[in-house]
Amino acid sequence: MENSPSTWRRTLDQGRASRPQLEGLDVYAHRLRGSAQRLSGTRHRLRRRAKRVLDLGRFYQDLSNDALRETAVEMRTLFRCRQDKATDLERAFALIREVAVRQLGEKHYLVQVMGGFALAQGSIAEMATGEGKTLCATLPATVAGWRGMGCHIITVNDYLAERDAQWMGRIYSFCGVRSDFVHQGMEPHARKYAYQADVTYCTNKEVTADFLRDRIILGPNRDSNQVLLARIVGTQTRRLNQVVQRGLNYAIVDEADSVLIDEAVTPLIISGPAPNTEQLDAYRQAATLAKTLSLNVDYVIDMKYREIKLTPKGRRRLEDQTAALGGLWRVSRRAHEMVTKALTATAFYRRDKQYVVDEQKVVIVDDFTGRLMPDRSWRDGLHQAVEAKEGLELTPVKDTLARISFQRFFRLYRKLAGMTGTAIEASQEFWSIYHLPVITIPYNRPCLRRQLPEVIVQTEAEKWDLIVEEIATLHAAGRPVLIGTRSVQASEHLSRLLKDKQLDHQVLNAVRHKEEASIVSLAGQQGRITVATNIAGRGTDIKLGPQVKALGGLHVLSADKNESDRIDRQLFGRCARQGDPGSSSSVVSLEDELIRRHAPKAYQRLTRWKPLTAKGLFRTAQHRAQRTAQQQRRHVVRSDQWLDQQLGFTHSL
Amino acid sequence: MAQDRPTFHEAWYRVADLQPRLLSSVRVFRQQFRGQIWHVLENTANNQYSRLNANAYAFVGLLNGSRSVAQAWQIGNEQLGDDAPTQGEVIQILGQLYNSNLLYVSLSTDGEALFKRLQKRQSRQIRSYFTNLLFIRIPLLDPDWFLNSWLPLFGLFFSRLGLLAWFLLVGTGLGFIGSNFKELFAQARDVLAPGNLILLYLTFIVIKIGHEFSHAFACKTFGKLNKNGGQVHTMGVMFLVLFPLPYMDASSAWAFSSKWHRAVVGLAGIFFELAIAAIAAIVWANTSTGTTHIIAYNVIFVASISTLLFNGNPLLRFDSYYVLSDLIEIPNLSQRSKEYIHYLVKRYAWGVTQARQVATSLGERLWFFFYGLASTAYRIYISIRIALFLNDRLPEQFFFLVPFFIFSAVVGWVLMPLGKFAKYLFTGAELQRTRTRAIFCCSCIVVGLVYFLGIVEVADHCRVEGILEPEDLRMVYAQSDGFIDEFVDSGTRVTAAQILMHATNPDLEAQQRILAAERRRLLVQLWIAQTEETVATQILEEQLGALDEQVARVNTQLADLRLRAPIAGIWHAPELWRMKGLHVRRGQKIGQIGSPDALIMRATASQAIAALLKLDQQVYIRLKGYPQHLITGHFTLIAPMGQENLPSPALAYQVGGDVALRSDDTGRPKTAEKIFEIRIDLDVQAPETFRSGQRTVARIDLPPQPLLRQWYRLARQLFQRRFYI
Repeated sequence: MENSPSTWRRTLDQGRASRPQLEGLDVYAHRLRGSAQRLSGTRHRLRRRAKRVLDLGRFYQDLSNDALRETAVEMRTLFRCRQDKATDLERAFALIREVAVRQLGEKHYLVQVMGGFALAQGSIAEMATGEGKTLCATLPATVAGWRGMGCHIITVNDYLAERDAQWMGRIYSFCGVRSDFVHQGMEPHARKYAYQADVTYCTNKEVTADFLRDRIILGPNRDSNQVLLARIVGTQTRRLNQVVQRGLNYAIVDEADSVLIDEAVTPLIISGPAPNTEQLDAYRQAATLAKTLSLNVDYVIDMKYREIKLTPKGRRRLEDQTAALGGLWRVSRRAHEMVTKALTATAFYRRDKQYVVDEQKVVIVDDFTGRLMPDRSWRDGLHQAVEAKEGLELTPVKDTLARISFQRFFRLYRKLAGMTGTAIEASQEFWSIYHLPVITIPYNRPCLRRQLPEVIVQTEAEKWDLIVEEIATLHAAGRPVLIGTRSVQASEHLSRLLKDKQLDHQVLNAVRHKEEASIVSLAGQQGRITVATNIAGRGTDIKLGPQVKALGGLHVLSADKNESDRIDRQLFGRCARQGDPGSSSSVVSLEDELIRRHAPKAYQRLTRWKPLTAKGLFRTAQHRAQRTAQQQRRHVVRSDQWLDQQLGFTHSL
Repeated sequence: MAQDRPTFHEAWYRVADLQPRLLSSVRVFRQQFRGQIWHVLENTANNQYSRLNANAYAFVGLLNGSRSVAQAWQIGNEQLGDDAPTQGEVIQILGQLYNSNLLYVSLSTDGEALFKRLQKRQSRQIRSYFTNLLFIRIPLLDPDWFLNSWLPLFGLFFSRLGLLAWFLLVGTGLGFIGSNFKELFAQARDVLAPGNLILLYLTFIVIKIGHEFSHAFACKTFGKLNKNGGQVHTMGVMFLVLFPLPYMDASSAWAFSSKWHRAVVGLAGIFFELAIAAIAAIVWANTSTGTTHIIAYNVIFVASISTLLFNGNPLLRFDSYYVLSDLIEIPNLSQRSKEYIHYLVKRYAWGVTQARQVATSLGERLWFFFYGLASTAYRIYISIRIALFLNDRLPEQFFFLVPFFIFSAVVGWVLMPLGKFAKYLFTGAELQRTRTRAIFCCSCIVVGLVYFLGIVEVADHCRVEGILEPEDLRMVYAQSDGFIDEFVDSGTRVTAAQILMHATNPDLEAQQRILAAERRRLLVQLWIAQTEETVATQILEEQLGALDEQVARVNTQLADLRLRAPIAGIWHAPELWRMKGLHVRRGQKIGQIGSPDALIMRATASQAIAALLKLDQQVYIRLKGYPQHLITGHFTLIAPMGQENLPSPALAYQVGGDVALRSDDTGRPKTAEKIFEIRIDLDVQAPETFRSGQRTVARIDLPPQPLLRQWYRLARQLFQRRFYI
């Protein structure tokens, strides 16, 4: 299977299509435009269109399966040839809706059709959890499939990609659209086959990594003219055929806020063995040297900014000791760097806190969630320094072969759309970075969630006591409870406490997505207690057990506040979906991570003195945390821009 | 210790495998600055330059088009050790070369990026026009062929012989100027007279064209000598404060390897102007009046003063600044001085430990510090001076332009820098750790400024100029006609009723005698009549009465020939001694007597000041030219109505006062705007040095006000005067 010339062009000239970052006054003008758009009543327009789709439904209802299929083929031609008009989209949606009824027995609600239009016009659809985002995405995805330029539906994990692709696959195949999915560990040719599909379900990590791998395969001569010439000459056919993707045309991003904002600045790096490895011995030597230096004499530690500085005395001592060593130690700057790294590894990286040693390997522990990250490693020799400190075998230093941040990657798509339960808080950022307007889609049925007031206690111990007590009360009443924690440690801690009280419960840590999805789907059964870190079992509907509705539905208890109130809202959104009853509450303490990390010290003291101000304290801490994160993201954009300007002679991607 | 130079860079993978090299049209020149070797890379195809230090150049030298960047970096590390550029620095070097269009990479060129760069450069240029309306450059033509064809002749001046001739010429000129210094100075007032402005401007243009050509020829001459550089391809018009002036681009002189050659090119314009000034001085000294004389004077004025004040002043970014920065081997002195001062602030006031140090040696640090302060102060000073000069001198019909200037200046020099600064202060990444301190520090300064300028009340005062006069001043007029015989010398202190002058009048004396004889005759007739006819007696008695009256009148007139002092005081009749034996008429002014013990000051106040004055307010009076004497006084009279006549001509602008005059229809001088006369009585007896007729200045204390309010008032008054708002 070979890409056509036009596909090559689209693939290789990808970067050109992305809109440039704005500068100066343009930024404000753009912001103004965004605000104007938000006020312009897009929602009403969408609703009118969706109503028309519902009206058209009657017509397709009466068609036989064959007639319906035939109409789908006609539409496919229409869309592929770009002969479609605005009304055709409405007809198409009505048809897909009918197909969904016949194939899955599920019918798109009005709000889902509205969401479909929002996605089709390239915006972020904010739809409450449980409103059926997966089904909603089939509307624009089928149409994009008909257009034949590829459509990626980005999910948060492999399990969801597979599940959705198979679940929705029947709609697609009925409409004459081939759907497929990509998951970890897939062979390149299978990947290629999956990307050739009209609709491809994949995770953000896979799609980005495949993109980078393609770029590496293409090598430096990846100008579209050169590649097309090479194809004609036929010299590099094998190499070119290894390219798996066929251009980034249209993506629908599920959980758009977490992919496009929270994880946006994490770069995805493809690395390979370094051709010119620094002598690994040097790391061991550095670790030994570091031990001879003494704190506050030879070096000082800046706890706040996590920095180590050698004092002049330390430098002299180091130079004396390394004089005989040779190798990279001859270069004093390198020597300082190596030793500083070794010191950093001892001072800031603690075993079982920042990392664990598993099968003679250093495995990074995620700072926020406490999850193990076996496929990650620290950069610039830090990983080796930590290994040297632990006396383990050193992994060879790797060189970056290609890297890209998700933010940059998703901006490459010609058309981008997203759906999530919580977006409005970040609408400013969606607009300024991705040019994506946020459209809030109304609830299908009024939301019956009772938000109980937040309980704030002084110490962490008090907090856990209170949480366990509350769980016990709710459990006694027979109501299912879902407890959201921030980190693995916290969920394990709570699990121990619950065990002590002989409360039967399930713990989810977002490691094995499939099993967890089934556990979460049962979290609504009577008397269930489920402890989950925030993102565990995402994308799975929690259906209530038979009697639970009468008892008051699922109760969601938040044991921690997150850096962003968006994530808090996501958690609460797990109860009271689709017009079910439900309630949510949160118990937090002044010793929480959020407060320790982000609240101003003076404010903390004030709160201890005058507990009335506690609410404001949490708000301030969240606000500051979000601002810091936002600044960081903006900084990444800016330094990317600077690099592109400086390195315009290289390929920017 | 230098800043952190991390070895690795996250974007290294993007350049590591490339095999770039310098474009084949790049030529490299070696230069030395403050003992450091620099390499100037010139792209001969488009006249773009870039400067690299020795280590960076060593790295760039390793790039031969077949070595990859990673290999070159490795070799560099082995050869240079600590000094080798880090990955980040390599990226920066390559970026710098790329952005100056000096780099060749065998990838297909990104045409779009190329155009983007061009667009960006153009838009930056256009933007700089708008933000900097006071300095606009428009390139017009390429003078290269012209310069080449005339080089054999004019190039001769840039030689040892030429320098000797120049010294001789300038020496002669200075000699002439020295011997006519007073006249030169006296004529200065006319130079800026409205009638001369056009002539002055034409002179200016001609001289500046010569100035530019001088640069160009010097550049050509030394370019030949150095076998490189010396291209002059651009000539155009620059609008300096809207005055069109010529300019030429002799920047290719930067490629000369000798800094003295570069210096000569930089100073060539000044050399030329001084030579012209010297010639003009010789002409001026040897002509008396007429157009030649005036033009010569203009030339001296333009070619020496303006040159030394602007081009010769390294504090402004004209010729000698570049020469200075080149000679002391600190390129970009002005910019880096600013950065250094900024660095000092960041490092010591804000506590940014990562602040980038721009100075590499103590010498540079001193230069940066003092130059930075001096040039900033001078720039502010000269900007204000230019603004005030324009305000005073710009013809009325161009005055509508002033708001544009002010707008451009306020936007370009105040708002934009302030905005940028605020943005930096609140979002700059550098300040991330010390933002609170920096903001606190700046707030303190702002609060301090607001407090001292806006809240603290500072004594406010204004000054009026006036003239001293005795409180009691009497004119002495001749009482009757006569020939002056004797008199009291002018300047003598006289008592009241002392005789000041004695005149004789033979006519009167004769008349007296005739009248006496006539009287005797009448007496005789009277006697006769008394005896003979009583009727006639009555007539004669009446005649006698009339005659007596006549006699009495003559006697008085005779007595009046002795002129007496009406009051005690100093007798002042400077011309009297010339008049001995001359005839004076009755009513003719002889002199005046003033009492030196009670002086008053008569002053004028403009409308703006008069409104602020109050009767009985205390003032401090000093003599003009004798600041050591101070006496106090107070207002006794403020004229309720404006007038157009000066109390004394000594207060007019033309003779050194501060009131401008104009001629009215009849040709009599009138004040340009209405003035208000003020009378100030002295509180104490004036000391000896205070004499009648001296010009004095009275300082009037106004109620204390914050400085901002005072300045605001001044600015408003300034505006009001020009715009009649």
